[in-house]
Parts: sequence; structure tokens; C-alpha cells
Amino acid sequence: MAVSKEGTSNMTRTLILLLATVASLPGAGAPKKVFPYAYKQEDLANGLRLVTIPTDYPNLVSLFIVVQTGSRNEVEPGKSGFAHLFEHLMFRGTKQTPPEKYQSVIRIAGAAQNAYTTDDYTAYHTTFSKEDLPQILSLEADRFQHLDYSQDVFKTETLAVLGEYNKNSANPTSKLLETTRARAFQEHTYRHTTMGFLKDIQDFPNEYDYSRQFFDRYYKPEYTTIVVAGDVDPKQVRAMVDKDWSGWKRGSYKAPISAEPPQEGPRTGEVKWPTQTLPWVIVAYRAPAFSDTQNDSAALDALAYLAFSQSSDLYQKLVIQEQKVDAFGVQNGDHVDPYLFGISARLRNVADMDAVNQAVLATVKQFSDTTVDADKLERVKENLRYRFALGLNNSEAIAGTVARFVALKRTPETINRVYDLYASLTPADIQRVAKQYLTERNRTTITLTGPAAVSK
Amino acid sequence: MKTLIALLCLCASAPAVSPTVLLPGKSPLVTFRFVFLTGSASDPADKPGLANLTCEMLSLSGTKQMTYKQVVDALFPMAVSIESYTDKQMMTFTAETHVDNLEKFYTLFNAMLLEPGWREEDVRRVKDDQINALKITLRGNNDEELAKEELYNLLYAGHPFGHANLGTVSSLEKLTLDDVKAFYKAQLTKGNLIIGLAGGYPADFPARIEKDFSALPKAAPSAAVLPTPPSIEGNSLTIIRKDTRSVAYSLGFSLDVNRGDPDFAALLLMQSYFGQHRESGGRLYQRMRELRGLNYGDYAYIEYFPNGMFSFEPSPNLARHQQIFQIWIRPVEVPTAAFGLKLAMFELDKLVKEGISEEEFQHTRSFIGKQVNLLTKTKSAELGYAIDSEFYGMGNYNANIKKALMSLTRDRVNAAIRRHLRSDNLRIVAVAKDADGLKEKLLSGTATPMTYNSPKVAAVMTEDKAVESWNLRIKEAAIVPVDQVFQ
Repeated sequence: MAVSKEGTSNMTRTLILLLATVASLPGAGAPKKVFPYAYKQEDLANGLRLVTIPTDYPNLVSLFIVVQTGSRNEVEPGKSGFAHLFEHLMFRGTKQTPPEKYQSVIRIAGAAQNAYTTDDYTAYHTTFSKEDLPQILSLEADRFQHLDYSQDVFKTETLAVLGEYNKNSANPTSKLLETTRARAFQEHTYRHTTMGFLKDIQDFPNEYDYSRQFFDRYYKPEYTTIVVAGDVDPKQVRAMVDKDWSGWKRGSYKAPISAEPPQEGPRTGEVKWPTQTLPWVIVAYRAPAFSDTQNDSAALDALAYLAFSQSSDLYQKLVIQEQKVDAFGVQNGDHVDPYLFGISARLRNVADMDAVNQAVLATVKQFSDTTVDADKLERVKENLRYRFALGLNNSEAIAGTVARFVALKRTPETINRVYDLYASLTPADIQRVAKQYLTERNRTTITLTGPAAVSK
Repeated sequence: MKTLIALLCLCASAPAVSPTVLLPGKSPLVTFRFVFLTGSASDPADKPGLANLTCEMLSLSGTKQMTYKQVVDALFPMAVSIESYTDKQMMTFTAETHVDNLEKFYTLFNAMLLEPGWREEDVRRVKDDQINALKITLRGNNDEELAKEELYNLLYAGHPFGHANLGTVSSLEKLTLDDVKAFYKAQLTKGNLIIGLAGGYPADFPARIEKDFSALPKAAPSAAVLPTPPSIEGNSLTIIRKDTRSVAYSLGFSLDVNRGDPDFAALLLMQSYFGQHRESGGRLYQRMRELRGLNYGDYAYIEYFPNGMFSFEPSPNLARHQQIFQIWIRPVEVPTAAFGLKLAMFELDKLVKEGISEEEFQHTRSFIGKQVNLLTKTKSAELGYAIDSEFYGMGNYNANIKKALMSLTRDRVNAAIRRHLRSDNLRIVAVAKDADGLKEKLLSGTATPMTYNSPKVAAVMTEDKAVESWNLRIKEAAIVPVDQVFQ
């Protein structure tokens, strides 16, 4: 990187650094599509999908390998947390490349590597210099097809997962989420968190055979999409993928995931936290699955901003004016199957629990009873567009964003479709989804309090 | 002494004129990164937390013309959020906007920094949030960060770095709006502001900002004087007693090397080999987690790295003239907690005595030489690193590190390890429920064997024998109830 100091101008010593990097994100005259990059999507004969996205960020490449398997696929009782455990096991090597050799290649390449597991998918991501792409694609092909770990190594890795549970366990929100799911779902696997139940994690060491079965079921090309973004040529990437990945055999397993029956009435739950904490409340409603053709989920996203975001009246009232709440959030996370629309609040004083709960319910009622101001909806649409554009500020962020969407619909085009849905939303859509989904019958309310809740 | 000289050099080279760092480009995004060279080291002695409160009051409150609600409403359609944070010697405000909204955003950003509203209701809310960040978030929800922050407090006792950036609960409860106004007036001046700007802004935009911010007082306030951190005689242990599932540790000692020092690259290589943050290649990670399943991860640091639980890369603009060497041991199950600490100390001792091998040196050098590019993958980070380089009086970070790595040898790295690291005279902080039980185990000198759920090779079992009886040589030990930490 060139650094040149320019001459002093008036009072200011100015350093002009790198001039060459130019990113073509959506600006004036940019394409209408919200995802501005020309990408190439290709399928291999075995069902593996490849999405290559040349970006204008030089030298680096970001590789995301997305497997459409998450805690949603943990269908057998007692096996919660397995998709996440498996994410760990994927770093335990093959016959050809034991873990030490794998680590050494990644290290010499200076690659930043990690993985994460969600309800619906597992993503393995690596960012590195472009010249290392052939070697890293080949290394990844080996572990996805020939993972091989011993019973002993398996047992050791289960302890690292327990360690991960331990580091999260100091935070009461982990327990709050665990309880909310367990109350809101009875049949569907969204009943448990991705981390899984502690008793299942503690039983992991006995489940070696099941772990092999899990790999054989889900680590197959038809479940997998490779996303490559950065300083790349799609033709060359395709050739590399053909070379190392086309021999991977297609599988046939489909998880029998039970649909959740309709909720018949409001549910509640309480968490007693052993140490000092501020009290929390979560109000969650059963919500529709992500869709890029039906606008229900998109309308609920917009409603989340209108009713509960920082600029909403309720946030202003509870956080800024009355100062009853110090952390306030809303989530309508994209999911393959119907999940939850959740509002969460951390209270400064436990005595306000009822008042805050009622204020949330009153806001929900208001959105069901009246249509929202069209200008306010337009401001939300503007926010969504700019928020998306601002998020695409490097190749890793671009690949990571695409990974989230290919996990749902296996194509980046779903991004453009869902933003088209946002653009077409009307105030009537917002009212309709509020009436349809944010109902008493669909509601689960969970509170969390400490031993002697902190009040000031 | 070395650090004091560095500090004086910086002051001498930055009189009433501060630099502007510009990264112009054609991106439709414009990135702002404004850094004031002040921070919690400049908190008045009886007002810890004031710098951070001032910083938050600017980014999370109204302006003279607008209430905070109006500010939030105005920012909302642009989807811009202003991130701000305070460290010991830097206070940072950063934001990114689409160029479509540049004018609207800048008008607001300018007013927030230059014409704050100073409303009582804002300070009440912001102060309360800061108290809760100490009482609830740090004490209550994150044992790892709790141990790390308390380690800093103890290593810098009686020093301007000797309190958390957030301050203390008792100090915050007393701080007033007048305190904030006074700190703002004295410390946030044009003379100690570094303006960073990147992306597709108009050519005349930097000059306009320069002119607008000349409204701030010109002179830079005198920077906090940093004495040599207190020395430590023998190993000392502090256990924070708290009802929690497992045991988290942080340990280390003050380091006489910062980014501007000739030995920095050698120690950066050591850090990467020994415990590269959140990467599985580090020695501690391999020996503690991969081989033995003790916990979720184990890392080493030569620069301040807060929020490691949530970030993979270090945030820029946490530059300090004095740093510590630190080992972070993620929570260990109670039965193996003593063994976990002993293993980390055993590995540190081995590092100091034996250094690193030629192969490890070559691999790690290759890693850092490329990985350094990833640190500046966003414009915001690139600006941040450039501003830090101004602070340390060094050139471009990436180019500098690459050049320094090329001239390194294994012998130079090992000599730097011997010169700056040690396996004694360090402070250990633990967070544990059974503090008395842990103290007894760590001090008694009796063997604390490791147990496994699967067979291990003979070499590991032999090594475990040495580790289980490792003499921790703890001279002093104290137990502190969690509600006294940061009080």
C-alpha cells in the first residue's frame, strides 16, 4: 500500500493514503437491484451450488461454505446441539490432511477462518489472499468429503463445546431465549436453541456413532452452496470447484421435521436468575417463515421498525422519556419455517414490569386497529435500503450477506426479490400482518428476574 | 522511561495543529472517524468515568437545536448509527453514510459534536446506562471481560490507567452535567482532534470540516503523564467471588513495548504463535483446547483488546503508550480449573525458556504478513489504523509490519521474548463461585490432576504429570466479592 504525504495546506497537515481502492456500491446511476453485484450461479451435476461474486475490493477473497443444516435438523430427542457440535468436528481433519496439516496451510496463508451454526444452517468461512484460493478450495473439498476423526478426538471436542456453553452461561439472555423457545414451540425443532440443552451437551461424549450418521445425512452436495466473493474470475473458480468437488456423491436424506401446530392461547413463563441482574421481559408471537414471494414476513420486518425500533414512539416513551427500559429490541429473524417475532426489554426497575408489558401490548393493538402513516412507512423503506447498502463494505461482508440468503433459498436473487417486496408494502399490509400474527392467541411472554432485582 | 519519551515526542510533534487523515475514493459510502487524543487517563482523580460519560453524552443525546428523539428520527431513514468509544488516551466517534445523505448526516454529526444540547434528562439516562454497564453487564453477564478489566485495574493501581474506562459506580453516581461540560471544554479541542475521512466525499469537503471544527478551542490540553506502572514482586492472585458455573481467568504483567517500539514486530509474532485471538492455530489453543478439551479457547495479547467475546479483529483507536502482556483463559469447568491455570503458566514458562522453533517462526511470519491485510479490509478500519499510526509516530501500519517481519529472524524473536516476557511476577485474576476452594487448590502446592473422558497419548500423560504439580509460586492471594469490583 502506497503512502504519500502531501504538502501542508494552511493549518492542516494532510495525509493522503490509498487512492486506488474503488468500490462500486449502489450510488447514483447504479442498477435498480438492491444487490448491486453481477454474480454467477452454477450447479454441478451432484447438486452442489456455486455462487461467485467478483467485487472491486482488491487482492482478497472471502469463501463461505453454507450447509443447509442447523439445529432445525436435530429431529431426534436428546440430540439438541448436534449441528453446532458438528461444526466443531469439521476442524478435526481427514486421513489425507490431519488437523495439524490443515492448520499449517491456513496459517501460512494468513487466512482468517471460523464457522458458525444457526437454527437453519452452518457456515464455514475463510478470508485470504487471492493466490491461495486453489489450495484452500482443495483443502475444504477434502474435509467436506472425507472428514475422519477418532472416538477419542470426538470426546475431547465435546468438552470444548461444553466450554462454549459455560462462557455463554453467565449471560441471562441465553437462558431467556432458551425458555422462550421451549414455551413457544412444542413439536418443531425450533423448540431448542442452536447451543442445545445442557443435559444433551453433557451426553455428547456418548454419541460418536450418531455423529458419523449426522455427517452422512447432511454433509452432502445437495445441502451445500459455495459462495466466493472478492478479487476472482468466475470461470477460474468454476474450474477449481470442478476439479475438487465434482466427485462428491449426492445423498438422499430428508429430515422429518414436525410442523408446529397452531397455538391455542397465550403462554407465559418465568426465569429466576441466581445472580444480580436487571429484569427482562420477552413478548414473542408466532410468525411466518421467510418468503421472497409472499409479503407477510417482509411486512412484519417493516412493522418491527415502525413499532419497536429506536425511532418508534414506544422506544421514545420507554427508553428516552420515561427511562423505564435501558435495552429494547425487536427481532423477526429470517427462518426456513415459521418462527417468532419477538420484542425484548431490559427494565431498570422490576416494579415497571407490568407497565412495560402493557405498553408493548398497547402498541401491538394500535398497529392492528389503525393504518400506519404512509410517510413513516416510506422512511422505513429508505432505512432498509440504506442499511443494506452500508453493510456491503468489504468482500467478507458481501459473502456473509449472500450466505444468509442462500441458506434460505439457495440464490442471491432472493435478496432482490425480498427488497422488491419491501418496496411494494402499503400501510394496509402492515395492519393486515399485525392483525393476523400479533394476536393474544399467538403470544408467549417470558420474564426473567434476579434474586433481589436491582432497582434504583 | 521509554514510554515517557514517546509521549513527549508525540506532544512535541503535535502542537496546536492536528493531522487530518484522508482516504478519498469513488465508493458511494463516506466514512467518518474522528479521534480526540484524550480519554479515561485524563479523568480527574476523583471523577473516574467522566471521559466516557462525556463521549456518550455527545453521541447519545440531543443538540442545541434538536432533542435526542429528533436526532434519532433524523438519523433513521439514513440507517446511520454513530459509534463512539473511549479508551485511556483516545476518544473515537465513527459513522458511515451513503453519499446520498452526506449533507444531512454531516449537519447532524457536526451539531452533535460542536453544539451539544446538555440536557439533564439526557445525562440522567446516559449515566444510568453507564452504571448498568458496570453493575450488570460487566459484573453480571460476562465473566471473561470482568476478569480482563480487573486485571488492568490491578496492574495499574495508582496510575492514570488504573480504573476501567467506564469508571466506578460510586464516582458515576456523583458526576453532574457541569462535570461533563467542563471536561468537554478542557479536553475536546481542535488541537487534539484527528479527523479521518474516507470514500466518495466531494473534494472541498475536508476543508469545510476543518473550518467548522476550528470552532473548538485551539490548544491541545496537556496529555496525562504516565508514570512507570507499579512493579510486581512474586505472583499474586485475586479471585472475584461470584455465583457462576465455571472459572474464568485473565493474567499478565505490564509490558514495556508498544507499537512504536523496535521490538513490537517480534512480540506480535510471539503473540500470534502463542495465542492468536480467536484462531485455532495458537499454541495455547492447541495445547489447552484442541488436545485436552479444557475450554472454548485460550489466547495471548500484547495490546488492549476489549470485547474479545464478540469480535474477531481488534478495534483500532485503542492506542496506548503503555500496554500489558495478557493471557485470556476462557471459562474452565470447576474440577479442571486449577489444572487449566497451571497449564497456561507451564506453557508461558516454556515459551520464555525455549522460545519458538525455526519452523514455527517461518509459519507465523507468513501468517502475519498476509493476515495484516485483513485488518484493514474496511475503509473505517483503514482510517483507524492510519490514525493509530499518527499516535505512535509510525508510518503505514501494514507496510511497516511487513517490512519489520522481513528483517526478523527466529533469534531476534526469541531474544525479544526473553527481554520482555517472564513467567513470574505476574498478576492472576479468576472469577469463581467457590473462591475459597479455588484459592486453597492453587496455593496448597498439592497436585491437581487432569481427568479425561478419552485416552491420551503417553507424551500428554507425561506432560500432565509435570503440569499437575506445577508450582504457581503465588505470594499473595485475595478474594473480592463481585459487588466490590468497579465500585
